Amino acid sequence: MSESTVVTAAPEPKLWAGGRSPYNVSYGKMMTWFFLLSDALTFGAFLISYGTTRFFSAVWPDPNQVFKSFPFMEGQNLPLLFVSLMTFILIMSSVTMVLAVHAGHYKDKKNVAFWLLWTIVGGICFLSCQAWEWTHLHSEGGWWGSFTDVNTPIAQFRGFFNPHKEAVQNMLSAHPVVAMQSTHDFFNYFFTITGFHGAHVTSGVIFNMLILINTVNGVYERRGHYEMVEKIGLYWHFVDLVWVFVFTCFYLL
Amino acid sequence: MSAHHHEDSIQHLYEGDQSKLYSGVMQHHTDVNSEESKNQVKRIWKIFWILLVITVAEVIMGMFFSHQMPKALVAFFFLALTLLKAGYIVAVFMHLGDEFKNFMVTVLIPLVLFVWFIIAFLADGGFWLRMNNESPARHNSQQSTTSSNE
Repeated sequence: MSESTVVTAAPEPKLWAGGRSPYNVSYGKMMTWFFLLSDALTFGAFLISYGTTRFFSAVWPDPNQVFKSFPFMEGQNLPLLFVSLMTFILIMSSVTMVLAVHAGHYKDKKNVAFWLLWTIVGGICFLSCQAWEWTHLHSEGGWWGSFTDVNTPIAQFRGFFNPHKEAVQNMLSAHPVVAMQSTHDFFNYFFTITGFHGAHVTSGVIFNMLILINTVNGVYERRGHYEMVEKIGLYWHFVDLVWVFVFTCFYLL
Repeated sequence: MSAHHHEDSIQHLYEGDQSKLYSGVMQHHTDVNSEESKNQVKRIWKIFWILLVITVAEVIMGMFFSHQMPKALVAFFFLALTLLKAGYIVAVFMHLGDEFKNFMVTVLIPLVLFVWFIIAFLADGGFWLRMNNESPARHNSQQSTTSSNE
């Protein structure tokens, strides 16, 4: 190809011929997306195996019975209220994160720091709620590997099941071991999946703290862009996204 | 072909700091008080309200109605709302909707595998339930079930 043809015929190099980014996405951001994709498959595997176990269980604990407590209001029947609060906190922290990313697009250092700080506060609130919920369920006997003793009195797990469904109550009296086994499976999956999610929230909070320090120190201002905020933002939103599915699978269905 | 034939301004992006290759949404923003910026913030809050309303609707349904409705309908309703929420988060909060369409498709296509995963594994679960229900252990007395499970 002669030099004159290049100048006159092709104002831009071909999309996939090298020398430019065809998707107009930096390497780091694209790899963040593919990391999240692999993480989605991991969470998906957890949730699908949870679903499979639930499908082959003749009875299953009722979320309205298991999750009916609220801090400082012990003994009252408040199904799903506490997890709604947790969901609200996480959605809210997603909004503050996207506002930080938005401020980053405009190189608005002060607002990036402001919204990142609120995102960290939201993340810590969520983790505190989760700590309370875990402690509460643990006090009711639920934990990894709990409910394995066939001589466990029915009274210890009857409360997790729907008291108004005849088929469930019949199963509880006829085959309490079957109900006990599904209680065992339920708590194993609950602590594993919310624990894996909680570990993501924890690392997300740590990442947010690191980029907050960098922002305040002017690292991104000197670099000329706030793409790191955008990449951590992707991770944080993914954690919110996973919670949307965990919320549906564990608390609603 | 050597990459050095390319223009210097493109070249330094590749040999220097790769992260300077912004995505479309990152480019050419200067004024945070501009109309464009304000519209973007407005869109973020709009999505927040949509997510909140959907979640409240889900919780109300889970608290009061889902026990009286057919199981399949409940599952369909909750899953549809969940996917709707997921779509808003990915498209707007994660800005995937603002990326090149080809990039969007590249990220989303592998997720199609989930259709097979879900159908295959849940069907397997259903089959095991049938096997267990038909097994002699379920039809014997409580004591024999207990011992068979040990």
